[in-house]
Amino acid sequence: MGRQLKFNIFRYNPEDPKSVPHMESFDLEETEAMTLYIALNRLREEQDPSLQFDFMCRAGICGSCAMMINGRPDLACHTKTKNLPDEINLMPLPVFKLIGDLSVDSGTWFRAMNEKVQSWVHTDKPFDPNAEEEPMDNQLAEEIYELERCVECGCCVAACGKANMREDFMGAAAFNRIARFMMDPRDERTGTEYFEVVGNEEGIFGCLGLLGCEDVCPKEIPLQDQLGMLRRKMGWQSIRHLFSRLLPD
Amino acid sequence: MFTQNVAQAKQPYRTDAYLDTFQMFSGVALILFMWSHMVLVASVNLGSRVMNSIAHFLEATYLAQIGGPMIALIFLAHFVMAARKIPFNYKEQKAMWTHSVRLNHLDTWLWIVQAVTGMIILIMGSIHMWTVLTDLPITAAKSAARIQGGWWLVFYMMLLPVIELHVGVGFYRLGVKWGWITRSNRKSLKNFENRLTIGFITIGLITLFTFYFIIKAA
Ligand code: HEM
Ligand code: SF4
Ligand code: SF4
Ligand code: FES
Repeated sequence: MGRQLKFNIFRYNPEDPKSVPHMESFDLEETEAMTLYIALNRLREEQDPSLQFDFMCRAGICGSCAMMINGRPDLACHTKTKNLPDEINLMPLPVFKLIGDLSVDSGTWFRAMNEKVQSWVHTDKPFDPNAEEEPMDNQLAEEIYELERCVECGCCVAACGKANMREDFMGAAAFNRIARFMMDPRDERTGTEYFEVVGNEEGIFGCLGLLGCEDVCPKEIPLQDQLGMLRRKMGWQSIRHLFSRLLPD
Repeated sequence: MFTQNVAQAKQPYRTDAYLDTFQMFSGVALILFMWSHMVLVASVNLGSRVMNSIAHFLEATYLAQIGGPMIALIFLAHFVMAARKIPFNYKEQKAMWTHSVRLNHLDTWLWIVQAVTGMIILIMGSIHMWTVLTDLPITAAKSAARIQGGWWLVFYMMLLPVIELHVGVGFYRLGVKWGWITRSNRKSLKNFENRLTIGFITIGLITLFTFYFIIKAA
Protein backbone atom coordinates (compact mmCIF):
# COMPACT_ATOMS: atom_id res chain seq x y z
CA MET A 1 0.00 0.00 0.00
CA GLY A 2 1.26 3.49 -0.86
CA ARG A 3 1.59 6.44 1.46
CA GLN A 4 -1.57 8.26 2.46
CA LEU A 5 -1.13 11.80 1.11
CA LYS A 6 -3.03 14.81 2.35
CA PHE A 7 -3.53 17.66 -0.12
CA ASN A 8 -4.51 21.10 1.12
CA ILE A 9 -5.68 22.95 -1.94
CA PHE A 10 -6.61 26.58 -2.36
CA ARG A 11 -10.22 26.93 -3.54
CA TYR A 12 -11.84 30.05 -4.88
CA ASN A 13 -13.95 30.84 -7.89
CA PRO A 14 -13.90 34.58 -8.63
CA GLU A 15 -16.82 34.09 -11.05
CA ASP A 16 -19.09 32.92 -8.25
CA PRO A 17 -20.18 35.72 -5.90
CA LYS A 18 -20.91 33.16 -3.16
CA SER A 19 -17.40 31.68 -3.29
CA VAL A 20 -14.92 32.65 -0.54
CA PRO A 21 -11.19 31.85 -0.71
CA HIS A 22 -10.38 28.88 1.54
CA MET A 23 -8.21 25.78 1.79
CA GLU A 24 -9.79 22.39 1.21
CA SER A 25 -8.25 19.05 2.18
CA PHE A 26 -8.24 15.85 0.13
CA ASP A 27 -6.79 12.43 0.94
CA LEU A 28 -5.23 10.27 -1.74
CA GLU A 29 -3.18 7.11 -1.74
CA GLU A 30 0.20 7.49 -3.40
CA THR A 31 0.90 5.27 -6.40
CA GLU A 32 4.19 4.47 -8.02
CA ALA A 33 5.92 7.28 -9.95
CA MET A 34 3.06 9.62 -9.07
CA THR A 35 3.44 13.22 -10.17
CA LEU A 36 1.28 16.11 -9.01
CA TYR A 37 -0.24 16.01 -12.49
CA ILE A 38 -1.46 12.47 -11.88
CA ALA A 39 -2.57 13.25 -8.34
CA LEU A 40 -4.60 16.33 -9.31
CA ASN A 41 -6.30 14.52 -12.17
CA ARG A 42 -7.28 11.69 -9.87
CA LEU A 43 -8.66 14.13 -7.34
CA ARG A 44 -10.72 15.77 -10.05
CA GLU A 45 -11.97 12.46 -11.44
CA GLU A 46 -12.63 10.70 -8.16
CA GLN A 47 -13.42 13.38 -5.62
CA ASP A 48 -14.30 16.81 -6.98
CA PRO A 49 -14.98 17.50 -10.67
CA SER A 50 -15.09 21.26 -10.02
CA LEU A 51 -11.38 21.47 -9.13
CA GLN A 52 -9.63 23.90 -11.50
CA PHE A 53 -5.98 23.60 -12.60
CA ASP A 54 -4.05 23.82 -15.87
CA PHE A 55 -2.16 21.20 -17.82
CA MET A 56 -1.23 20.68 -21.44
CA CYS A 57 1.96 18.84 -22.25
CA ARG A 58 2.56 17.11 -18.87
CA ALA A 59 6.23 16.99 -19.87
CA GLY A 60 7.61 20.32 -18.63
CA ILE A 61 7.39 21.95 -22.04
CA CYS A 62 4.28 24.12 -22.17
CA GLY A 63 4.71 25.87 -18.81
CA SER A 64 1.01 25.91 -17.97
CA CYS A 65 1.03 23.81 -14.78
CA ALA A 66 3.14 26.06 -12.53
CA MET A 67 1.80 26.41 -8.99
CA MET A 68 3.01 26.99 -5.44
CA ILE A 69 3.97 23.59 -4.09
CA ASN A 70 4.56 23.82 -0.34
CA GLY A 71 5.33 27.52 -0.83
CA ARG A 72 7.69 27.10 -3.77
CA PRO A 73 6.76 27.73 -7.38
CA ASP A 74 7.38 24.73 -9.62
CA LEU A 75 5.84 22.75 -12.49
CA ALA A 76 3.28 20.27 -11.16
CA CYS A 77 3.80 17.84 -14.01
CA HIS A 78 7.46 17.24 -13.28
CA THR A 79 7.11 17.22 -9.49
CA LYS A 80 7.09 13.69 -8.10
CA THR A 81 5.07 13.15 -4.93
CA LYS A 82 7.75 10.85 -3.57
CA ASN A 83 9.98 13.92 -3.12
CA LEU A 84 7.29 15.67 -1.07
CA PRO A 85 6.17 15.19 2.54
CA ASP A 86 2.87 13.47 3.45
CA GLU A 87 1.10 16.79 3.57
CA ILE A 88 1.18 18.88 0.40
CA ASN A 89 -0.06 22.48 0.18
CA LEU A 90 -1.02 23.71 -3.26
CA MET A 91 -1.67 27.38 -3.99
CA PRO A 92 -2.01 29.29 -7.25
CA LEU A 93 0.95 31.42 -8.36
CA PRO A 94 0.85 34.92 -6.85
CA VAL A 95 1.24 38.07 -9.01
CA PHE A 96 -0.83 36.62 -11.90
CA LYS A 97 -4.59 37.02 -12.20
CA LEU A 98 -6.51 34.16 -10.62
CA ILE A 99 -8.87 32.25 -12.88
CA GLY A 100 -10.02 29.82 -10.21
CA ASP A 101 -8.48 27.45 -7.62
CA LEU A 102 -4.97 26.65 -8.91
CA SER A 103 -5.43 28.14 -12.35
CA VAL A 104 -3.95 31.57 -13.15
CA ASP A 105 -3.81 33.67 -16.27
CA SER A 106 -0.11 33.89 -17.04
CA GLY A 107 -0.80 34.30 -20.78
CA THR A 108 -1.90 37.92 -20.52
CA TRP A 109 1.14 38.79 -18.42
CA PHE A 110 3.59 37.14 -20.80
CA ARG A 111 1.96 38.66 -23.84
CA ALA A 112 2.30 42.13 -22.33
CA MET A 113 5.90 41.34 -21.40
CA ASN A 114 6.77 40.18 -24.91
CA GLU A 115 5.21 43.31 -26.36
CA LYS A 116 7.09 45.50 -23.93
CA VAL A 117 10.49 43.98 -24.71
CA GLN A 118 9.53 43.74 -28.39
CA SER A 119 10.46 40.15 -28.42
CA TRP A 120 11.38 39.69 -32.04
CA VAL A 121 14.47 40.20 -34.20
CA HIS A 122 14.57 43.84 -35.27
CA THR A 123 16.16 44.27 -38.65
CA ASP A 124 15.88 46.58 -41.64
CA LYS A 125 17.29 44.01 -44.04
CA PRO A 126 14.67 43.08 -46.64
CA PHE A 127 13.66 39.45 -46.32
CA ASP A 128 14.36 37.29 -49.33
CA PRO A 129 12.56 33.96 -49.00
CA ASN A 130 14.70 32.42 -51.76
CA ALA A 131 18.08 33.35 -50.31
CA GLU A 132 20.08 30.80 -48.41
CA GLU A 133 19.90 31.18 -44.67
CA GLU A 134 22.85 32.96 -43.14
CA PRO A 135 24.87 30.55 -41.05
CA MET A 136 25.39 31.27 -37.36
CA ASP A 137 28.37 30.24 -35.30
CA ASN A 138 27.44 26.99 -33.59
CA GLN A 139 28.57 28.04 -30.13
CA LEU A 140 26.60 31.29 -30.34
CA ALA A 141 23.54 29.44 -31.56
CA GLU A 142 23.77 27.18 -28.55
CA GLU A 143 24.20 30.08 -26.17
CA ILE A 144 21.09 31.73 -27.59
CA TYR A 145 19.22 28.45 -27.41
CA GLU A 146 20.12 28.14 -23.75
CA LEU A 147 18.05 31.29 -23.07
CA GLU A 148 15.36 30.36 -25.59
CA ARG A 149 14.41 27.39 -23.43
CA CYS A 150 12.14 29.54 -21.23
CA VAL A 151 8.67 27.94 -21.18
CA GLU A 152 6.98 31.08 -19.78
CA CYS A 153 5.71 29.23 -16.73
CA GLY A 154 5.95 32.29 -14.48
CA CYS A 155 7.77 30.56 -11.60
CA CYS A 156 10.52 33.18 -11.63
CA VAL A 157 7.95 35.97 -11.38
CA ALA A 158 6.11 34.26 -8.52
CA ALA A 159 9.42 33.81 -6.67
CA CYS A 160 10.46 37.45 -7.11
CA GLY A 161 10.09 39.73 -4.09
CA LYS A 162 10.09 42.81 -6.27
CA ALA A 163 7.39 41.47 -8.61
CA ASN A 164 5.28 40.64 -5.55
CA MET A 165 5.65 44.22 -4.33
CA ARG A 166 5.43 46.08 -7.62
CA GLU A 167 3.05 45.16 -10.40
CA ASP A 168 5.02 47.16 -12.96
CA PHE A 169 8.29 45.26 -12.40
CA MET A 170 9.34 43.44 -15.57
CA GLY A 171 10.75 40.33 -13.94
CA ALA A 172 13.51 37.88 -14.75
CA ALA A 173 11.74 36.21 -17.69
CA ALA A 174 11.70 39.58 -19.45
CA PHE A 175 15.38 40.21 -18.70
CA ASN A 176 16.18 36.79 -20.07
CA ARG A 177 14.30 37.59 -23.28
CA ILE A 178 16.15 40.86 -23.76
CA ALA A 179 19.49 39.18 -23.09
CA ARG A 180 18.61 36.66 -25.76
CA PHE A 181 18.06 39.35 -28.39
CA MET A 182 21.14 41.28 -27.32
CA MET A 183 23.17 38.18 -28.11
CA ASP A 184 21.58 37.73 -31.50
CA PRO A 185 23.69 39.36 -34.26
CA ARG A 186 20.64 39.57 -36.52
CA ASP A 187 18.93 42.01 -34.14
CA GLU A 188 20.03 45.52 -35.11
CA ARG A 189 18.77 47.33 -32.04
CA THR A 190 21.28 49.77 -30.52
CA GLY A 191 22.36 49.92 -26.90
CA THR A 192 20.19 53.01 -26.40
CA GLU A 193 17.15 51.17 -27.73
CA TYR A 194 17.68 48.34 -25.28
CA PHE A 195 18.33 50.88 -22.54
CA GLU A 196 15.00 52.50 -23.22
CA VAL A 197 13.26 49.20 -22.52
CA VAL A 198 15.15 47.94 -19.45
CA GLY A 199 17.35 50.77 -18.16
CA ASN A 200 14.96 51.90 -15.44
CA GLU A 201 13.42 51.04 -12.10
CA GLU A 202 10.66 48.90 -13.67
CA GLY A 203 13.45 47.12 -15.48
CA ILE A 204 16.88 45.94 -14.42
CA PHE A 205 17.54 48.71 -11.88
CA GLY A 206 14.52 47.63 -9.88
CA CYS A 207 15.94 44.15 -9.43
CA LEU A 208 17.01 43.60 -5.83
CA GLY A 209 19.26 40.65 -6.59
CA LEU A 210 17.34 38.26 -4.36
CA LEU A 211 17.78 35.42 -6.86
CA GLY A 212 14.43 33.84 -6.07
CA CYS A 213 14.08 33.59 -9.86
CA GLU A 214 17.41 31.84 -10.32
CA ASP A 215 16.70 29.36 -7.54
CA VAL A 216 13.26 28.24 -8.72
CA CYS A 217 13.40 28.25 -12.53
CA PRO A 218 12.34 24.69 -13.44
CA LYS A 219 14.30 24.90 -16.70
CA GLU A 220 17.41 26.06 -14.81
CA ILE A 221 17.93 28.96 -17.16
CA PRO A 222 20.97 30.99 -16.02
CA LEU A 223 18.85 33.98 -14.98
CA GLN A 224 21.37 35.29 -12.47
CA ASP A 225 24.01 35.73 -15.16
CA GLN A 226 21.59 37.63 -17.43
CA LEU A 227 20.58 39.99 -14.60
CA GLY A 228 24.19 40.78 -13.75
CA MET A 229 25.17 41.27 -17.38
CA LEU A 230 22.21 43.58 -18.06
CA ARG A 231 22.80 45.78 -15.03
CA ARG A 232 26.47 46.11 -15.81
CA LYS A 233 25.87 46.94 -19.46
CA MET A 234 23.06 49.40 -18.75
CA GLY A 235 24.91 50.97 -15.83
CA TRP A 236 28.13 51.57 -17.75
CA GLN A 237 26.17 52.83 -20.70
CA SER A 238 24.52 55.48 -18.56
CA ILE A 239 27.88 56.50 -17.11
CA ARG A 240 29.40 56.79 -20.59
CA HIS A 241 26.44 58.92 -21.60
CA LEU A 242 26.91 61.14 -18.55
CA PHE A 243 30.57 61.71 -19.37
CA SER A 244 29.86 62.43 -23.01
CA ARG A 245 27.42 65.10 -21.83
CA LEU A 246 29.90 66.57 -19.37
CA LEU A 247 32.82 66.48 -21.79
CA PRO A 248 31.42 67.27 -25.23
CA ASP A 249 33.99 66.61 -27.93
CA MET B 1 5.15 72.39 -23.42
CA PHE B 2 3.68 69.40 -25.15
CA THR B 3 5.85 69.64 -28.26
CA GLN B 4 8.93 70.00 -26.07
CA ASN B 5 8.12 66.71 -24.40
CA VAL B 6 7.78 65.01 -27.74
CA ALA B 7 11.07 66.46 -28.91
CA GLN B 8 12.84 65.26 -25.78
CA ALA B 9 11.35 61.80 -25.85
CA LYS B 10 14.16 60.76 -28.22
CA GLN B 11 16.51 60.19 -25.29
CA PRO B 12 15.46 57.69 -22.61
CA TYR B 13 15.54 59.10 -19.09
CA ARG B 14 18.56 57.85 -17.23
CA THR B 15 17.91 58.93 -13.64
CA ASP B 16 17.22 55.39 -12.35
CA ALA B 17 20.44 54.16 -13.93
CA TYR B 18 22.52 57.00 -12.45
CA LEU B 19 21.03 56.56 -9.00
CA ASP B 20 21.59 52.81 -9.01
CA THR B 21 25.16 53.17 -10.22
CA PHE B 22 25.94 55.76 -7.57
CA GLN B 23 24.26 53.54 -5.01
CA MET B 24 26.79 50.89 -6.01
CA PHE B 25 29.69 53.33 -5.65
CA SER B 26 28.42 54.51 -2.27
CA GLY B 27 28.19 50.87 -1.14
CA VAL B 28 31.73 50.13 -2.30
CA ALA B 29 33.05 53.29 -0.64
CA LEU B 30 31.35 52.40 2.64
CA ILE B 31 32.66 48.84 2.57
CA LEU B 32 36.20 50.09 1.99
CA PHE B 33 35.73 52.59 4.78
CA MET B 34 34.45 49.93 7.18
CA TRP B 35 37.49 47.77 6.50
CA SER B 36 39.88 50.67 7.15
CA HIS B 37 37.85 51.55 10.22
CA MET B 38 38.29 48.01 11.51
CA VAL B 39 42.05 48.21 10.97
CA LEU B 40 42.24 51.46 12.92
CA VAL B 41 40.12 50.32 15.83
CA ALA B 42 41.50 46.78 16.02
CA SER B 43 45.03 48.18 16.13
CA VAL B 44 44.31 48.82 19.81
CA ASN B 45 44.80 45.09 20.31
CA LEU B 46 48.47 45.72 19.59
CA GLY B 47 48.53 48.35 22.35
CA SER B 48 47.11 51.86 22.80
CA ARG B 49 50.32 53.35 21.39
CA VAL B 50 49.68 51.77 18.00
CA MET B 51 46.10 53.01 17.83
CA ASN B 52 47.06 56.48 19.04
CA SER B 53 49.77 56.85 16.45
CA ILE B 54 47.44 55.79 13.63
CA ALA B 55 44.79 58.22 14.93
CA HIS B 56 47.41 60.94 15.24
CA PHE B 57 48.60 60.32 11.71
CA LEU B 58 45.02 60.63 10.42
CA GLU B 59 44.57 63.91 12.23
CA ALA B 60 47.97 65.42 11.44
CA THR B 61 47.32 64.79 7.76
CA TYR B 62 43.76 66.11 8.17
CA LEU B 63 42.43 62.80 6.86
CA ALA B 64 40.15 62.53 9.89
CA GLN B 65 38.87 66.09 9.71
CA ILE B 66 38.11 65.88 6.00
CA GLY B 67 37.45 62.15 5.69
CA GLY B 68 35.08 62.03 8.66
CA PRO B 69 32.53 64.48 7.28
CA MET B 70 32.97 62.99 3.80
CA ILE B 71 32.11 59.55 5.11
CA ALA B 72 29.13 61.12 6.88
CA LEU B 73 28.02 62.56 3.54
CA ILE B 74 28.43 59.26 1.70
CA PHE B 75 26.57 57.58 4.56
CA LEU B 76 23.70 60.02 4.09
CA ALA B 77 23.75 59.70 0.30
CA HIS B 78 23.79 55.92 0.53
CA PHE B 79 20.85 56.02 2.89
CA VAL B 80 18.83 58.22 0.54
CA MET B 81 19.58 56.04 -2.50
CA ALA B 82 19.13 52.68 -0.79
CA ALA B 83 15.94 53.81 0.96
CA ARG B 84 14.33 54.12 -2.48
CA LYS B 85 14.23 50.32 -2.46
CA ILE B 86 12.64 49.96 0.97
CA PRO B 87 8.86 49.77 0.80
CA PHE B 88 7.39 52.45 3.02
CA ASN B 89 3.75 51.82 2.23
CA TYR B 90 1.84 49.13 4.03
CA LYS B 91 0.64 47.26 0.95
CA GLU B 92 4.16 46.67 -0.37
CA GLN B 93 5.55 45.84 3.06
CA LYS B 94 2.86 43.27 3.57
CA ALA B 95 3.40 41.81 0.09
CA MET B 96 7.14 41.47 0.75
CA TRP B 97 6.60 39.91 4.17
CA THR B 98 3.97 37.43 2.97
CA HIS B 99 6.23 36.53 0.07
CA SER B 100 9.30 35.98 2.30
CA VAL B 101 7.40 33.77 4.74
CA ARG B 102 5.84 31.76 1.90
CA LEU B 103 8.98 31.25 -0.17
CA ASN B 104 11.32 30.87 2.84
CA HIS B 105 14.36 31.47 0.68
CA LEU B 106 17.63 32.58 2.26
CA ASP B 107 18.61 35.36 -0.15
CA THR B 108 15.12 36.84 0.11
CA TRP B 109 15.31 36.88 3.93
CA LEU B 110 18.76 38.46 3.69
CA TRP B 111 17.27 41.43 1.90
CA ILE B 112 14.88 42.03 4.79
CA VAL B 113 17.88 41.74 7.12
CA GLN B 114 19.59 44.37 5.00
CA ALA B 115 16.68 46.79 5.05
CA VAL B 116 16.18 46.44 8.83
CA THR B 117 19.89 46.63 9.72
CA GLY B 118 20.18 49.64 7.40
CA MET B 119 17.56 51.56 9.36
CA ILE B 120 19.24 50.65 12.67
CA ILE B 121 22.62 51.78 11.31
CA LEU B 122 21.07 55.06 10.22
CA ILE B 123 20.22 55.85 13.84
CA MET B 124 23.07 54.17 15.74
CA GLY B 125 25.73 55.07 13.17
CA SER B 126 24.73 58.73 13.33
CA ILE B 127 24.95 58.74 17.13
CA HIS B 128 28.35 57.08 17.00
CA MET B 129 29.74 59.43 14.35
CA TRP B 130 28.49 62.50 16.18
CA THR B 131 30.01 61.36 19.46
CA VAL B 132 33.42 60.59 17.99
CA LEU B 133 33.72 63.49 15.54
CA THR B 134 32.69 66.15 18.07
CA ASP B 135 35.26 64.86 20.54
CA LEU B 136 38.46 64.77 18.45
CA PRO B 137 41.24 63.78 18.77
CA ILE B 138 40.57 60.06 18.84
CA THR B 139 42.62 58.34 21.54
CA ALA B 140 42.51 54.82 22.89
CA ALA B 141 42.08 56.12 26.43
CA LYS B 142 39.01 58.20 25.55
CA SER B 143 37.41 55.31 23.69
CA ALA B 144 38.17 52.97 26.59
CA ALA B 145 36.57 55.43 29.01
CA ARG B 146 33.38 55.47 26.96
CA ILE B 147 33.21 51.70 26.67
CA GLN B 148 34.03 51.09 30.32
CA GLY B 149 31.14 53.36 31.23
CA GLY B 150 28.92 50.39 30.36
CA TRP B 151 26.23 51.88 28.15
CA TRP B 152 28.54 52.33 25.19
CA LEU B 153 29.61 48.71 25.54
CA VAL B 154 25.98 47.64 25.13
CA PHE B 155 25.63 50.10 22.24
CA TYR B 156 28.66 48.74 20.38
CA MET B 157 27.75 45.12 21.10
CA MET B 158 24.53 45.81 19.23
CA LEU B 159 25.99 47.96 16.45
CA LEU B 160 28.83 45.53 15.64
CA PRO B 161 26.79 42.53 14.42
CA VAL B 162 24.22 44.81 12.81
CA ILE B 163 26.79 46.63 10.69
CA GLU B 164 28.82 43.52 9.85
CA LEU B 165 25.65 41.76 8.68
CA HIS B 166 24.70 44.76 6.57
CA VAL B 167 28.17 45.03 5.05
CA GLY B 168 28.41 41.28 4.47
CA VAL B 169 25.04 40.95 2.81
CA GLY B 170 25.62 44.20 0.91
CA PHE B 171 28.95 42.99 -0.43
CA TYR B 172 27.43 39.73 -1.64
CA ARG B 173 24.44 41.49 -3.15
CA LEU B 174 26.59 44.07 -4.95
CA GLY B 175 28.39 41.17 -6.59
CA VAL B 176 25.14 39.51 -7.60
CA LYS B 177 23.47 42.66 -8.88
CA TRP B 178 26.42 43.77 -10.99
CA GLY B 179 27.22 40.32 -12.27
CA TRP B 180 30.62 39.73 -10.65
CA ILE B 181 29.08 36.87 -8.74
CA THR B 182 27.78 34.38 -11.30
CA ARG B 183 26.00 31.06 -11.15
CA SER B 184 29.31 29.22 -11.24
CA ASN B 185 31.03 31.02 -8.35
CA ARG B 186 28.02 32.02 -6.24
CA LYS B 187 28.30 29.24 -3.70
CA SER B 188 31.97 29.63 -2.96
CA LEU B 189 31.82 33.44 -2.85
CA LYS B 190 28.85 33.34 -0.50
CA ASN B 191 30.79 31.00 1.72
CA PHE B 192 33.79 33.28 1.64
CA GLU B 193 31.58 36.25 2.44
CA ASN B 194 30.05 34.45 5.44
CA ARG B 195 33.46 33.62 6.80
CA LEU B 196 34.59 37.21 6.30
CA THR B 197 31.57 38.46 8.24
CA ILE B 198 32.15 36.05 11.11
CA GLY B 199 35.84 37.01 11.07
CA PHE B 200 35.05 40.72 11.34
CA ILE B 201 32.53 40.17 14.15
CA THR B 202 35.17 38.14 16.03
CA ILE B 203 37.83 40.82 15.61
CA GLY B 204 35.29 43.42 16.73
CA LEU B 205 34.41 41.43 19.86
CA ILE B 206 38.07 40.95 20.73
CA THR B 207 38.60 44.68 20.29
CA LEU B 208 35.68 45.53 22.58
CA PHE B 209 37.11 43.09 25.13
CA THR B 210 40.47 44.85 24.94
CA PHE B 211 38.86 48.26 25.40
CA TYR B 212 36.78 47.07 28.33
CA PHE B 213 39.36 45.09 30.29
CA ILE B 214 42.85 46.04 29.18
CA ILE B 215 43.15 49.65 28.01
CA LYS B 216 43.51 52.25 30.73
CA ALA B 217 40.65 54.74 30.53
CA ALA B 218 41.26 58.47 30.43
C1 HEM C 1 22.39 55.05 6.83
C2 HEM C 1 21.87 53.90 7.07
C3 HEM C 1 21.79 52.84 6.02
C4 HEM C 1 20.64 52.41 5.42
C5 HEM C 1 19.23 52.88 5.71
C6 HEM C 1 20.99 51.41 4.47
C7 HEM C 1 20.10 50.71 3.69
C8 HEM C 1 20.44 49.86 2.69
C9 HEM C 1 19.52 49.13 1.86
C10 HEM C 1 18.03 49.16 1.96
C11 HEM C 1 20.23 48.44 0.96
C12 HEM C 1 19.67 47.53 -0.12
C13 HEM C 1 19.57 48.25 -1.41
C14 HEM C 1 19.13 47.34 -2.51
O1 HEM C 1 18.81 46.18 -2.28
O2 HEM C 1 19.10 47.81 -3.67
C15 HEM C 1 21.60 48.72 1.21
C16 HEM C 1 22.65 48.22 0.49
C17 HEM C 1 23.97 48.31 0.87
N1 HEM C 1 24.48 48.94 1.99
FE1 HEM C 1 23.42 50.08 3.22
N2 HEM C 1 22.34 51.25 4.48
C18 HEM C 1 22.87 52.09 5.43
C19 HEM C 1 24.19 52.24 5.80
C20 HEM C 1 25.22 51.49 5.26
C21 HEM C 1 26.58 51.51 5.73
C22 HEM C 1 27.10 52.35 6.88
C23 HEM C 1 27.27 50.66 4.92
C24 HEM C 1 28.71 50.26 4.93
C25 HEM C 1 29.45 50.28 5.91
C26 HEM C 1 26.37 50.12 3.95
C27 HEM C 1 26.70 49.24 2.95
C28 HEM C 1 25.84 48.78 2.00
C29 HEM C 1 26.21 48.03 0.83
C30 HEM C 1 27.60 47.62 0.45
C31 HEM C 1 25.04 47.75 0.13
C32 HEM C 1 24.89 47.02 -1.22
C33 HEM C 1 24.76 48.11 -2.24
C34 HEM C 1 23.75 47.84 -3.29
O3 HEM C 1 23.00 46.86 -3.20
O4 HEM C 1 23.69 48.65 -4.23
N3 HEM C 1 25.12 50.64 4.19
N4 HEM C 1 21.71 49.58 2.27
S1 SF4 D 1 12.69 31.89 -16.92
FE1 SF4 D 1 12.33 29.85 -16.03
S2 SF4 D 1 10.91 30.24 -14.35
FE2 SF4 D 1 10.87 32.04 -15.64
S3 SF4 D 1 9.16 31.74 -17.01
FE3 SF4 D 1 10.99 30.99 -18.07
S4 SF4 D 1 11.11 28.81 -17.57
FE4 SF4 D 1 9.67 29.72 -16.14
S1 SF4 E 1 17.02 38.66 -8.70
FE1 SF4 E 1 15.74 40.36 -9.41
S2 SF4 E 1 14.32 39.43 -10.84
FE2 SF4 E 1 15.24 37.73 -9.65
S3 SF4 E 1 13.84 37.39 -7.94
FE3 SF4 E 1 15.31 38.89 -7.31
S4 SF4 E 1 14.48 40.90 -7.67
FE4 SF4 E 1 13.34 39.39 -8.85
S1 FES F 1 1.86 20.51 -18.21
FE1 FES F 1 3.19 21.51 -19.63
S2 FES F 1 4.79 22.14 -18.32
FE2 FES F 1 3.54 21.00 -16.97
